[in-house]
Amino acid sequence: MTNKGLSASDLTISRAEHVLLEGAELELAPSTITYLYGENGAGKTSLMRCLSGLLQADSGKIHWNGQPITNLDSNYFQDLIFLAHALSMKAELTIFENLSFYARLRGVKDPKPLIDSATHDLGIGQLQGRRFAELSAGQQHKVALCRLVIEPAKIWILDEPFVNLDKGTRHWLAELIQQFAKQGGVVLFTSHHEIEELAIDQRIGIEH
Amino acid sequence: MFSALLKRELMVARRNWIGIVIPLFFFIMVVSLFPFGVSPEAPVLQKIAPGIIWVAALLSTLLSLEQFYRSDYQDGSLEQTLLIAGPTQVASAKILAHWLLTGLPLVIISPLLGILMQINHGFVESNHTWVLMLSLLLGTPTLCLIGAIGMSLALAANRNGMLVAILVLPLYVPILIFGTSTVTASLENFSYNGQLAILAALLMIALVVSPFAAGRALKISVS
Repeated sequence: MTNKGLSASDLTISRAEHVLLEGAELELAPSTITYLYGENGAGKTSLMRCLSGLLQADSGKIHWNGQPITNLDSNYFQDLIFLAHALSMKAELTIFENLSFYARLRGVKDPKPLIDSATHDLGIGQLQGRRFAELSAGQQHKVALCRLVIEPAKIWILDEPFVNLDKGTRHWLAELIQQFAKQGGVVLFTSHHEIEELAIDQRIGIEH
Repeated sequence: MFSALLKRELMVARRNWIGIVIPLFFFIMVVSLFPFGVSPEAPVLQKIAPGIIWVAALLSTLLSLEQFYRSDYQDGSLEQTLLIAGPTQVASAKILAHWLLTGLPLVIISPLLGILMQINHGFVESNHTWVLMLSLLLGTPTLCLIGAIGMSLALAANRNGMLVAILVLPLYVPILIFGTSTVTASLENFSYNGQLAILAALLMIALVVSPFAAGRALKISVS
């Protein structure tokens, strides 16, 4: 099947009876990096959750490769990585155990080389055996970003992935996103500041 | 995928073992108090033992429910696992882990409480002990399965364990009735096969309905 990307049509999303988006149209083609911007509370996260299947839109349709996304059993969700504000790691488990869990959920049989490579690149390789709760906030954020390397996917929906990152990690992430898009991936990310390291293909603004 | 989910639940529980031990101790303590509070005499204890043990098992299950769902909801891993593995699979793994870690220990420890409540005189050789264990073996998974639906709905409503209790306690009543009745019938030397069959039937119904219902409720809770 040819990859037509991710699209949304006539999308209306509301939260607590307040309409955030009305009749929104969205086209996220393969090999494109889309920057979603807007003020706090404008509905960026709600739109991302909606595209990730975690939030039901009031109306409208979302298609992946021309097929509607109707429920969580669809293959679409195996192709998707959604990095939210919550880091989604278990405090009781080590870095390796957390990342290994996500890799195995995606069907990666031997995730160790990928985990070694990703954690080494981010300078947390020697901390693999340490529990997630024992890491600093910055290190925890890096662990969550490692998921982008170890989990195979075709769509990345990233909610403020550049927040609280040092310069080196920002550069690493920008390069990773660029490489992913070059290989045909679809990227949608939010940020309160434009990321100068990243060549953005499409900008979408949401206003109150 | 299911094995990865189950393995993670067991690993988290092993690191957070205090959360597993507390419901078990609660079960033991509640049952242990009755010989002191009511009477240490065998005829009295034998009469109340089935009800006491079953009510304690029910409350212990209820006590352990929250920890199995709340932390995943709070740290965001619930929505990630729902996305990747799907709601029914996530709910099934959580229910199985919950029973293995909190329900099964109750079954294993129950012969000791049987001695304390004087329902048997020859430890595990006694038929009554086996009946008690069998009733709990059939009943505790159903308690976990029903509890999972209640807890998943309570997450959606962002409420604490009190709401779960209100939601699931009425549904626990048939299991309590037939669980207690099984042991009572055995103690009075009546046939208990009918009660066990009903407990097994309730388990089968819960096995079919609960993973799906709890999964849907979990999906609603993260949206």
